[in-house]
Amino acid sequence: MFAFTVARRYLFSNPAQTGLLIAGVAIGVTAFVFITALIQGLAVRLTDDVTANSAHVSLEPMTRVARVLPSPDADVEAVAAISTFQRRQIRSWRSTVALLRTNPEVAAISPQISGSAFLVKGQAVAPVAVTAIEPSGLDAISPVSTEIISGDANLGPDSILIGVRLAENLGLSAGQPVLFRTDRGVDRLLTVRGVFRTGLQSLDERVAYLSIQTARPLFLLPEGVTNIEIKLFEPGRARAVAAFLHEATGLRATSWQERNANLDGALVAQAQTGTLIQVFSLISVLIGIASALSLSANRRRGEVGIMGAFGVSRRFIATVFILQGLLIGVVGAGIGCISGFGLCSWLATLTKPDGTMALPIAPGQGGYVAVFLLTTLGAVLASVFPARSAARLDPLEAIQQ
Amino acid sequence: MTAVLDAREITMTFRNGDELTQVLKGVDLTLQPGELAALLGASGSGKSTLLSIVGLLLKPTTGAITIGGQRVEGLSEKERAQFRNRRLGFIFQFHHLLPDFTATENVAFPAAAAAGGMTGAMRKRARELLARVGLSDRMDFRATRLSGGQKQRVAIARALMNNPELVLADEPTGSLDRVAAEQVLDLMREVNREEKATFLICTHDEKVAARCTRRITLKDGLVDATA
Repeated sequence: MFAFTVARRYLFSNPAQTGLLIAGVAIGVTAFVFITALIQGLAVRLTDDVTANSAHVSLEPMTRVARVLPSPDADVEAVAAISTFQRRQIRSWRSTVALLRTNPEVAAISPQISGSAFLVKGQAVAPVAVTAIEPSGLDAISPVSTEIISGDANLGPDSILIGVRLAENLGLSAGQPVLFRTDRGVDRLLTVRGVFRTGLQSLDERVAYLSIQTARPLFLLPEGVTNIEIKLFEPGRARAVAAFLHEATGLRATSWQERNANLDGALVAQAQTGTLIQVFSLISVLIGIASALSLSANRRRGEVGIMGAFGVSRRFIATVFILQGLLIGVVGAGIGCISGFGLCSWLATLTKPDGTMALPIAPGQGGYVAVFLLTTLGAVLASVFPARSAARLDPLEAIQQ
Repeated sequence: MTAVLDAREITMTFRNGDELTQVLKGVDLTLQPGELAALLGASGSGKSTLLSIVGLLLKPTTGAITIGGQRVEGLSEKERAQFRNRRLGFIFQFHHLLPDFTATENVAFPAAAAAGGMTGAMRKRARELLARVGLSDRMDFRATRLSGGQKQRVAIARALMNNPELVLADEPTGSLDRVAAEQVLDLMREVNREEKATFLICTHDEKVAARCTRRITLKDGLVDATA
């Protein structure tokens, strides 16, 4: 293709200017990649932080609502009160768990009995949120066993795991007995099997783990569970999976985003800010290409004029300038993607004194394909105006100048 | 014998705001194959305008033009460009070579751009033409490395690349020193004689006109029959 040869020759005729132009594009693309990788990394870190010790989707019985009864007499209103004779529970939890196991998006399942209780030691009383789980699935939702700092995580009969702040408040340590009093009025002496530290005060001060078998008589639930907690392979899919599970099971399904609406809003705002920065960096790249090619077209008026005089078609002349834009876009975007990946990879190796990443950057999520295609397409579009003006040049006018 | 150029009643009026200026007032001009004609006239006589009209770079206000037996005044912009590419050659006062290309590439450029690529045959023809104009040792030199006279010789070779029926030259020696101008004029005479190419050379230089086989003088927008 002769137009390609001419375009390439034009670009190589002024290596310094072409080099600067490509460098400008590459820097813009590098900035795009950095911002994208940083925002993605931040979102992943925040999501991980929030969901590290909690489920991505929670299944519970539907909330019971008092119903207004229709009445032929408009002056009389009747309401069917909520029945409290039956505990809210998931009776058919085993079939629900079996259904969840067939879902390829589900990474872990934890049927639980959740309730409230008090731990009593002498005159000291502390309220606790109880999570009763199957001992084999202790780490399904939260990596409890890895957070044990004294004792062990073996949840046998009449064993309890408590957080480090709670242990301090009650003066408890692993191996000691403690009186457990549930909100159902049942008391039992349990043994502190292990003490864990999550680093989250709310958990370390308020949460206690039992086995389901231990919890059943304490919470008067011989068969069912109160909730089923689910971890997904892809946390971002939680909303969609929750909607699907609600349809499939009839249970109330709550995603982690619903439980943390403020965080979700912050992530959306952060993503929108990132998009704005990305758009502006792309626009600045494209303006640079358009202005450089306009200058080039202006500088080559005489040459373009003589081409027109010799009957070289307008399409050929326009193609030469569009191909210059395409080449600048492809080379600049390619270099920018490589340098962006290099920069992000280097930043990802930087650590703080505690060993954690200095910047929560995700080098693999720099939006490389998107920025490459956008920059290339944008470069072609940016070259259309100078290409059109060059192609429309009156040969006679250009030659006479 | 069919005339290479037959222009009838050519008028050209330019508008500058509300002011109309009639540069050509009904020019008749015929060129036979193989002629080497000088188009003379004082500054502002309209000779460059006539050359541009004959070269299909400018549309006349009125008049009929036939080149190589084909009426051309009604052609579309695209058809005019194709006609210029295939059937006309141009030599301008300033060579307007493409500085990023070699002498061979410059000569072959009009043909290569029209065909979408430079073939071996085009390269061979370009090199033959460069040899013909005495630039055998400069074929692969970039245009920027050639002297003024050499550049104008490349421009002559380029004008001949597509075997045009008519070569239009606008002050072809105007930017050259005396020696180079003589060489270029000799070359055009040789090409005219040996290649049977028809030339219409626009000039105000009597010395150039003296080397041509025919003189056409424009005066007040008309061909001066007395000249």
